[in-house]
This record gives sequence, C-alpha cells and structure tokens, in this order.
Amino acid sequence: MAANYWASTQRRHWLFTREKLAETRDRLRDRDKVTHSQFPLPDQRLLNIYFNQQLIKLGKRMSTRQQAIATAQVYLKRFYTKNEIRQTNPYLVLTTAFYLACKMEECPQHIRFVVGEARGLWPEFITPDVAKLGECEFALMSEMNSQLIIHHPYRTLSELQTELSLGSGEIALAWSVINDHYLTDLPLLNPPHIIAVMAIVVAVVFKPSHPGGAFSSPAQSAQSTMAGVARDGNGMNMLAALADRTGTGPPRIQKLVQWLAESEIDIKAVIESTQELLSLYEVWEQYSEKHCKEFIGRMVKSKNLDK
Amino acid sequence: MAASPFASRSPSMTVASPNTAIRLKASAAQSGSGSAADVKTSSQPNGELTEQLNNSVAQNYERGKKLGEGTYAVVYQGFRRDTATTVAIKKIKVNADYKDGLAMDAIREVKYLQELSHPNVIALHDVFSKHENLHLVLEFLPGGDLEMLIRDQNVQYGAADIKAWMGMLARGVWFCHENYVLHRDIKPNNLLIAADGEVKLADFGLARSFADPYLNMTHQVITRWYRPPELLYGARQYSGAVDVWSMGMVFAELLLRVPFVAGNTDLDQISKICEAFGTPTEENWPGVTKLPYYIETDSSQIIPTSGRDFFSRQFPTAGPVGADLLMSMCTLDPRKRITAVQALRHKWWTIDPQPTKNEDLPQKRHAEKKMAEDMSRRGGEVNDSPFKNAARQLDFGGR
Repeated sequence: MAANYWASTQRRHWLFTREKLAETRDRLRDRDKVTHSQFPLPDQRLLNIYFNQQLIKLGKRMSTRQQAIATAQVYLKRFYTKNEIRQTNPYLVLTTAFYLACKMEECPQHIRFVVGEARGLWPEFITPDVAKLGECEFALMSEMNSQLIIHHPYRTLSELQTELSLGSGEIALAWSVINDHYLTDLPLLNPPHIIAVMAIVVAVVFKPSHPGGAFSSPAQSAQSTMAGVARDGNGMNMLAALADRTGTGPPRIQKLVQWLAESEIDIKAVIESTQELLSLYEVWEQYSEKHCKEFIGRMVKSKNLDK
Repeated sequence: MAASPFASRSPSMTVASPNTAIRLKASAAQSGSGSAADVKTSSQPNGELTEQLNNSVAQNYERGKKLGEGTYAVVYQGFRRDTATTVAIKKIKVNADYKDGLAMDAIREVKYLQELSHPNVIALHDVFSKHENLHLVLEFLPGGDLEMLIRDQNVQYGAADIKAWMGMLARGVWFCHENYVLHRDIKPNNLLIAADGEVKLADFGLARSFADPYLNMTHQVITRWYRPPELLYGARQYSGAVDVWSMGMVFAELLLRVPFVAGNTDLDQISKICEAFGTPTEENWPGVTKLPYYIETDSSQIIPTSGRDFFSRQFPTAGPVGADLLMSMCTLDPRKRITAVQALRHKWWTIDPQPTKNEDLPQKRHAEKKMAEDMSRRGGEVNDSPFKNAARQLDFGGR
C-alpha cells in the first residue's frame, strides 16, 4: 500500500464503468476485425485463468509474493485495454508484467533470471535475448502512462478481520476469493474495498465446509470450494437478503448485513461483484489448459508474434 | 527493421503491429527505412493511439538547454507550451539495449511522484517516452537547494529562516508518511527550493511504501551522515522514524552550517553518533543489542545519553524549545523518537521568532545548475566523492 487510494491514479484513470470497458474493447476489435475472425480466442476469463496459472508457475521458483502476482495480473488487464491481444506475444507481455510487478512490490528479480525462468517454461515463445524483456517493460510502462501503484483488497481484508471478528477459515476463503477476482474484470471496475467486502460476504455466506484445511497456499483459488455454490440456490437467497437489508438468516449473517448497512458501502456494487465471481466459477468448469495453450500457440506462431 | 517488444510485422499483411509502432516512434529517425512511414499509415492505429498520446504529451514540451548530467539522468530546462511555464525535464538514461531493465531508482521515482501531490513535494507534471528514453517532467526549482545555502558563507540566515525551512521539510515528510511512503534519502541537497522560496522534497529514487508488518526491507539506505543508528545496526524492519532522524540531522546542520555527525565509514558514523548522543544500550533502547550489526561497547566506554543541556549548549541558536525538538528527533531508540506528525505539533513552531515568510527567505537566484545536479544524481551518492554508497544496489529477493 502506498499513497492514498482516493487520490490515486488507479481511481482517477483506471476505474472503468462496465459500459466504458465494453466500449474500449469493442473499439479494439473494430480496428482489426480480420484478425479477430481469424483467431477466435476462448472466453477472456478462461484466458485469464491460463495466464494466472502461468504467472504462478513463473513465480514459483522465485518465492514471489502473491501481491506481485496480483499486480502483474492488473498490469496485463490494463495493457490489454489498450492493445489487442492478437497483436502481441502474450508470453512476453506476461513475463514483463511479472518482472515489473516484482520491482513494484519491492521483491525485484534480476532480468536474466526472469528471462531464464520464462524460457524454461515456454522455450518456443521467449527468446534468450534479455533486451526484449527490457524493451517490453518500457512499452508496458508507456502504455500504463507510468501509473504503476496498484491498490489491492488484501489489506482491507486484514483490517476488517477484527472488526467483523472473522475466523481463520473465513479469512482464508476471503483471501482466495480475492485471488480469484483477478481472473475477472472486477479489478478494473471496482475500488479495492468493494472487492474486500465482497470477499468477506462470500466467505461468511458460503462458509467452507472444511475450514482452514483446503487453503494451504496463499495463491490458492477458492474455486474448489465454490464450484458447486453457483448452482446452489442457498447463497443467492442470502444475497437477496443482503440486497433488501432485511437481515434475515443466521445471526452471523444478520450482523454482517447490519454492519454493511451502517458502513454505507455500495451494496449494489458488492452484489454485482459477487454475481460476477459466481459466474466465473461457472465458466471455470469449461476451463482446459490445453485448449488455451493451443489457441495462443497457434495465434502467436501463425502471426510470427514471437520474433 | 528494429525488433519490436512483442510483435514483428505480420507476414500476410505489410502492416506493422501496434507495438512496433511504439518502438518505431522512438527509432524512426535512426531506422532510416520506409518502415516508419508504413506504420503511420498502417491499418492498426491502436498502438498509434498510445503513440499519439505520448507524442502529444511530448509535444507540449519544448526542450531547452542542458542543465546538468549525472550518473543516471540528464536534466534539461524545458518549456511547457500550453501553460507557458518553465519545467525541468529529467531524461533517465535507459541502459543501453535495455539489458538490465529499467533502473529501480527510476521506477521508484515515477511510482511515487505519480501519486503524491503536495506543496512540499516536487511535482511530477508528466512522463513521456521518446527516443527510447523515459522523460520525467518535473517542477522547475531554480532556487538551488538547502545545501547551497548552508555552505555559502555569504548567505546569512537566522532562527526564523531555519524555522521556515524546517516547517516546509516537516510538512513534506509528514505528507509522505501519511501516505505510507518512506523517503529514505533526506539530506540538504535533496531539499530543492522553488522560485518562491518553497522547499520541495525531491529524489524519490530510494523511496518505498511501508512494508507489511514483519516483512524485511533493506538497511542500505539514506546517505551515511543522515542515516539513523537503527539502519547502521542493520535493522530490516523500520518506520518513518528513519526519515525523522534525517530531518533532525538536517536541522542540526542548518544550525551549525556543517554536517553534525559526519562519519567517514559506517563504523565511524556509529562512533560519532555515540559521541554526540550517547551509546545505545538496552537501558535507553530496549532490543538494540539484538540488531544484526550491533557492536558491544565496553562498559567503561559507554557514553551517557545526551540530555537537554547538551542540545541547548550545542545549538544555542535554536533556543531551548528548538533544542528540545531537535533532541526528540535525534532520540536513539526509534520507538521513542518523535513522529513527523508529533514534530509538527511541537510548540517550537508557535513561539517566537515566527518563521520567515517565503518571499523574505535568503535565496539563491538562477541556481538551476544545482537543481540539475541534484536531480541527476543517484540517491545515497555524496557529491561525487569516491566512496560509493551501496544504497542503490538492488537487494534481490531480500526486500
């Protein structure tokens, strides 16, 4: 955390409305309809899952903090609001976002090491020339107008822990939900505190059946716990209760609803985010790593984007 | 054609990718081929949009004469067309061929100055990239820096002037800390002076956000003479107190007109601090002996902690209340040291003499060369002296 979110470049320049974001992407697509029809790519969220998995692989041997991975994911999103993915080598952009994010989150890695690791993972797509990464870093910074600080929801989560007397199971689940929200557009659509509150609501309402046990790694996703929830009507009823602030249901949830009502947090945004997240878990069931890999590989190779 | 960061020309169509465009906007001059023109007319204006944006930013500025060059940047005088104001343009030397990526200093500076806006923090107006270099458009500060005023024996100043300067410094530091940013290189030549006399905290090349609790940070920061004892002892977890110590050292230097504790080596710095303020012990600083580089002092050699009398005697110009503020900034134990916000609440500010108004402060005119020198130097470097501080070394993995 640094500086003040309310005065931040994130809030002033990188917070989109849904309409604005859709419009931005439509404009990108309209510029290059041919490539779009030539290279249909999987759902953006599935690609995001793939990218995230690649980032985690990349970070594995460097003992990277989750926050750096999260920052890298936001960089990717920002970058691809201005650039058509089909014109880039996603593996290079991904590696660069990771490299820059590590510097930003004060866990810098040497450029050679990062390139070496990336080459180990994707030898076909990353050249041994480190200057490529350096150059891409420069482009990435330019595209983001050198606005580099990302405010994440993690800190709000830990700050609210005592206030809402959240148990360790709930914290772990909320943390994983935050990890997962980077797979959606939510970081571009909401301020971090909305996401943190959404994650808490999800964690409390859809309490994990085996508290603690399932979430050993901080990079873990809540997907395994949440997979069935999307189809499960229970949770949605709870959300409905949140929406009209009647505070029905178990006391634990009543307390949360009351807190939310008093906090003057944008409940509508919280609920929308929750729905977005749940639909992510639905989409997730179609995810196939192999599929994404092939799609991207074909696109990069046939367009010679790796050169 | 020059290699682009991520895409080369599509073989099927003779258009360049947008990112080639980014690259080309920089290298069009040297490429000499027709490719630059191809890009301009390409059917993929997307990258060009950024390019245009970038260019429109760049075109808003006219680069004037070179003011200075340092280890990591070249500083030019510049002119902003739309507002007709003078600016300083700091061109960061990108390592040849991008071999090492962007320097951490440049990244940190951009990172923090993009977000911080305060009258006592140097303003970053714009950032643009041109000719493969990163350009920071900074506030033009022709008044030189505090170091110049301290050293120039022709300049006379008094307690009221010091109070004004220290007030501006304290507000700048408070603002950084309030925003969870540690400056980590406060010293007189990073305190630049605007045409109207306002002091501006500059050089955020060593700045970082407060670490999450229990995460380590490097102790190799802050130019030695301004470095607090906890960093000299190798503390890896620290707070805004490190900047407050530096502020205290600047205060003392303003009063004495020479650096107060100026060690030749890190060890010498520790012994000079002990001589001046007393030996850190478990009694005056619980836990100090656990710090990695703590040096045991023979009990016969222990110097007792300096009290109010010492500060009043040593710094008569500050007056007893001023000496009290200085003492609380130089408290050995960082936990007992005054914080920036507490310092601002100290009664010294409200007693006489009142701080001098900016327009009446002693000033240097046309000291833009000095500004340029300060802006182009790496933090932790002491005036081109041969001993290089390790401050800028990247602390890989260790945070």
